[in-house]
Amino acid sequence: MSTTPDKLVDRYVKHLEVELDDLPRDRRREIVDEIAGHIAEARAGLEHESEVDVRNILEGLGDPADIAEDARERFEVRPTVQAQPFKPGWMEVAALVFLLIGGLIIPMFGWIIGVVLLWVSNAWNVRDKIIGTVFVPGGLVLPIGLALFSSSVAGGTCGPVISGSGRAITAAPCSYGGTSTNYFGIVALIALVVIPIVTTAYLAHRLRQQPSAAAIA
Amino acid sequence: MVAVGKQDALLAQMRKGTLQYCVLSLLVEDERYGFDLVRSLAETDGMVTSEGTIYPLLSRLRRDGLVETTWRESSSGPPRRYYKLTKSGRAALEAFKSEWGPFRDAVDHFVERKA
Repeated sequence: MSTTPDKLVDRYVKHLEVELDDLPRDRRREIVDEIAGHIAEARAGLEHESEVDVRNILEGLGDPADIAEDARERFEVRPTVQAQPFKPGWMEVAALVFLLIGGLIIPMFGWIIGVVLLWVSNAWNVRDKIIGTVFVPGGLVLPIGLALFSSSVAGGTCGPVISGSGRAITAAPCSYGGTSTNYFGIVALIALVVIPIVTTAYLAHRLRQQPSAAAIA
Repeated sequence: MVAVGKQDALLAQMRKGTLQYCVLSLLVEDERYGFDLVRSLAETDGMVTSEGTIYPLLSRLRRDGLVETTWRESSSGPPRRYYKLTKSGRAALEAFKSEWGPFRDAVDHFVERKA
């Protein structure tokens, strides 16, 4: 099926409208109307209109994306997605690694390094940075630390607990399961493991989105 | 090569910056409609790379009050929007011309100098 001139023009004008999307409505209308008028005028001047003629008219007008870029410049409209001179690099990767397991590599400071890199990088917006900082401070250090701590505490409660007077109050059994508070503890622990991983995955996902978004601009 | 890319960008900027005065100049004698303006500009090589970019420019000139527009009936089709120079458009063109002449001569003086 060959493309009729009308279809070509239609497609071109629609394409132009889409490209001019971030211009104020009245300006977009004015430009699109004038260009549609230009096409009509040029077509009216042809003796026997062929597909090639119409293609040449559209070619002469130029790529809708170029016209839109020119229009944005003329009207000082910034593209909706700001084109930042940005490419995800080592800093972003390091930020994610340190946020998640930095605290394990360098106790405490590792995570702080991750936070600093997160905030220094241009890759994320403020919302993402807050998410990265708040969920969860310390990254995986917190749940792992808690797990070690609770097992040692649980271990420590094994055997008789001696009261101040020296009398054995109770011989505590060496089990730390079975009570509802421990179930809650396990759920919390799992959440503390899962949340930092999910956060890191989310930030990595945002990292992947960014370059394509910038490319549109 | 980076240098060539930069030079292209510079030329594109110069073209973009001076194009509006070419349009204003075309309107000195008479009011004209868009397609007619584009045709005149396209006759001179190197001035317009994509004709469509004239229309954002015309829209901008109108908003800046350098041109004003009137719709007129056309004998051969739908009504046309005619562009006409305003007083401030004329003034802007005169101001540009008084700067442009010496500037062009100064650049020519150096780049056209025989080695």
